[in-house]
Amino acid sequence: MTDTISGEKRSLWYRLYHGETSYDFMGQKRRWFMISGVVVLIGMVSLVGRGLNFGIDFKGGTAWEVKSRSLSVTKARSAMSAVGLREAQIQRIGGDLIRVRADIGGPAAQRQEEVAKVRTKLADVANVSESQVNINDVGPSWGKEISGKARRALIFFFLAIFAYISFRFEWKMAAAALGAVVHDIAITVGIYTVSGFEVTPATIIAFLTILGYSLYDTIVVFDKIEENTRGLAASGRLTYEDTVNLSMNQVLMRSLNTSLVAILPILSILVVGAYVLGATTLEDFGLALLIGLVTGAYSSIFIASPLLAILKEREPRYAAIRQRLATRAGGPPLTPAAAAAMSGPRASSGDGAAADWSQQTPSVTPRATGSGARRPPPRGRKRGRRR
Amino acid sequence: MRRSQLISLCLILAIAFGAFLGTAGRRKTPALGLDLKGGVLVVLKPTKPVSDAILNQSIEIIRSRVDALGVAEPDISRLGRNIVVQLPGVKNKERALEIVGQTAELRFRPVLSLLPPFDANPEPPKTTTTTSAAPTTTAPGPTTSTTTPAQIPTSTKDEDKPENPVVLPEIVKGRVVQRYALGPSELTGRVVRTASARAPQTGGGWTVEVEFTSDGGKKFDDLAKAYYQQSVAIVLDGVVKSAPKINEQEFHGKATISGGSSGFSEREAKDLSLVLRFGALPVQLERQTVQEVSATLGKDSLRAGLIAGAIGLGLVLLYMVLYYRALGIVVLFGLTVSAMLMYSIITWLSETSGLTLSLAGATGIIVSVGITVDSYIVYFERLKDEIRSGKTLRSSVDRGFQRAWRTILAADISSLIGAALLYWLTVGPVRGFAFFLGLSTVIDLVTAYFFKRPVVAFLGRSRFFTEARWFGVARGLASTPTGAS
Repeated sequence: MTDTISGEKRSLWYRLYHGETSYDFMGQKRRWFMISGVVVLIGMVSLVGRGLNFGIDFKGGTAWEVKSRSLSVTKARSAMSAVGLREAQIQRIGGDLIRVRADIGGPAAQRQEEVAKVRTKLADVANVSESQVNINDVGPSWGKEISGKARRALIFFFLAIFAYISFRFEWKMAAAALGAVVHDIAITVGIYTVSGFEVTPATIIAFLTILGYSLYDTIVVFDKIEENTRGLAASGRLTYEDTVNLSMNQVLMRSLNTSLVAILPILSILVVGAYVLGATTLEDFGLALLIGLVTGAYSSIFIASPLLAILKEREPRYAAIRQRLATRAGGPPLTPAAAAAMSGPRASSGDGAAADWSQQTPSVTPRATGSGARRPPPRGRKRGRRR
Repeated sequence: MRRSQLISLCLILAIAFGAFLGTAGRRKTPALGLDLKGGVLVVLKPTKPVSDAILNQSIEIIRSRVDALGVAEPDISRLGRNIVVQLPGVKNKERALEIVGQTAELRFRPVLSLLPPFDANPEPPKTTTTTSAAPTTTAPGPTTSTTTPAQIPTSTKDEDKPENPVVLPEIVKGRVVQRYALGPSELTGRVVRTASARAPQTGGGWTVEVEFTSDGGKKFDDLAKAYYQQSVAIVLDGVVKSAPKINEQEFHGKATISGGSSGFSEREAKDLSLVLRFGALPVQLERQTVQEVSATLGKDSLRAGLIAGAIGLGLVLLYMVLYYRALGIVVLFGLTVSAMLMYSIITWLSETSGLTLSLAGATGIIVSVGITVDSYIVYFERLKDEIRSGKTLRSSVDRGFQRAWRTILAADISSLIGAALLYWLTVGPVRGFAFFLGLSTVIDLVTAYFFKRPVVAFLGRSRFFTEARWFGVARGLASTPTGAS
């Protein structure tokens, strides 16, 4: 990821780095909504059709794990059918872990006996002591309880976050932020049903993390939007949508950096932890985190902010601004660098700098940078660019 | 840099280093959870709906049983209508599970004779059958060697029936101190209404006051008449809890057990009253889920987690330094301070309140690196904004921080709300994860305010740091006149 940005596309990198991007996120919102809508739809169809692949922690069953290089899957299978476990699912995980899974059923006492029998056999063929065998035995009703709890936690989470964002910002932002979170959930569930990845408790945890991440991301963007609405937009020279667009360009580099630093440890968990060292729980974590992180980063930019803009544009105040500005020629969106230069160190809404800018709208990027240079760097402390 | 900032910086450095060195100096490490250390976890559920009081009683009983097993750091807790028992590092998992969940009765058995505590070793040396040792031939059957009293074997679980005479041990701190040959059970724990430990009166040790039910009182009087001036053992789960001598024939529904010549210690008296009050589990428990983790596999997971975490952290830091130059170094030091605080707090909590670091928790920490670093990114990008609007780095620092702080606070509070809710409302691994996520969010806020702010303020003043050719803060923030491409 770093390579493509810094190496081949230096100009893009340069513009990102110096805050000179002016992507029209808002203009494309229909496209992003469409894409998300289609992905969500596919996911929902698949969810109804084939459902999620829940692990034994949710549906009940038993898993045995043993570490052995010499034990092959076929050997394990014949050993298992020797103790009467014919329906067992046997797989090799990582380099040297053999996992056997089965649903034994029957009354509890019989079940315990059976579990112990399989353990003994497995330890025997793997040539290790019995205490080296991992067992995870889950009764059928336990999973229901776990998922019931998780669902309840999720509902309270939504309510609390909605209340907090409404309190800290406003309810429309809360609605947009939660809209993005619901989108993340829908996409992740969709990916899990389509691919058939197993849902384990680790998946759920990872997933909850992602909700936090996605919200965190969204709040950073919204905080910027709020600040801009107080400053530039309060003058009535910018529609709400343009303010949002500007804010997103302003925090773009931060969003990219954040996503990158979040993805690095997770990739490391996934690659090193799971595939190289064969820790299965880490694999579950890593996969769900990666999927969630990508959708979360996407949704805070392409879903949350456009949703907010749509909600806000309905307000009479912003509708009026839009009406008024519609008569003028719409130039390319404002770049963060330009906005910063325009608003100036002490610029408040409606002062000379902002008025100056509104006349320059049609060709903002080149002139804006010029106007930035027009303001002499104070005290000459800054050095010239070196590249 | 203002004086208050300097003080806050010194303070947080002192706290972080002090706590870390204190922890490391005492050679303490965080206690590891079951999935990292190996052990067994079982979730038990009552077979019929029961009240909270009964559930809590059951937990108390299980706790005292586990304590008798001598497991380090057991964790027995309630989880909705279930009981979760975690026994990290336990060796004989099957036996531990059996002892935890069994619904044995408290029985009163007359003492026939005392036997020496020979049978401390649960597996008597086999004399014959050394060939073809099939491991699945159930428990070793009781051998019928009856030479000396010392060799009379302790009765097995199967033999411990109310109508059989038995030989049972008394166990103190995991060691057999005495064995008793006992007659058939005369009464069960149902005759006891309540029991309590009583502090020493004038002279003597602690005593246990027992109150019988009206029906039970009569039965106990019958027992007292039959075994007047003899001992009656109180037996639970195949272990003799106490064997008091009957000194009266009529008890009128109340009895006092004194601890012989030396008297009971407070602990003994309380334990015994606990046993008498609800010796047997008040409700039958069914295993919902059992998780056994082998110690080696746990260690592998830990190693994998540590390596993955280290590599991930290294990559993040490398990126930060390349991108933000000197400010990247601030991230490095900031993370070090956070890590030291985190390590000390986790260790302290695992010492004082039994917190254990599970794989889920470790993942929470690795993930939180992202959140922590993000708060630096928010601030640095903010500085960039300020500088772009034509200010010097020096004058941007304070204003930039104030604005970034608002953002960080808003975002971190939403994380905290999420973590707190998850902690209260969920179970098991999710809970552990939520705790560590919340902890690292708080540490993030603390270091942002007390470490990041003063350090960046300091760097912003130093010509060397701002203007060094490849390394300068100014370079890292691209605070150069734009347009000259």
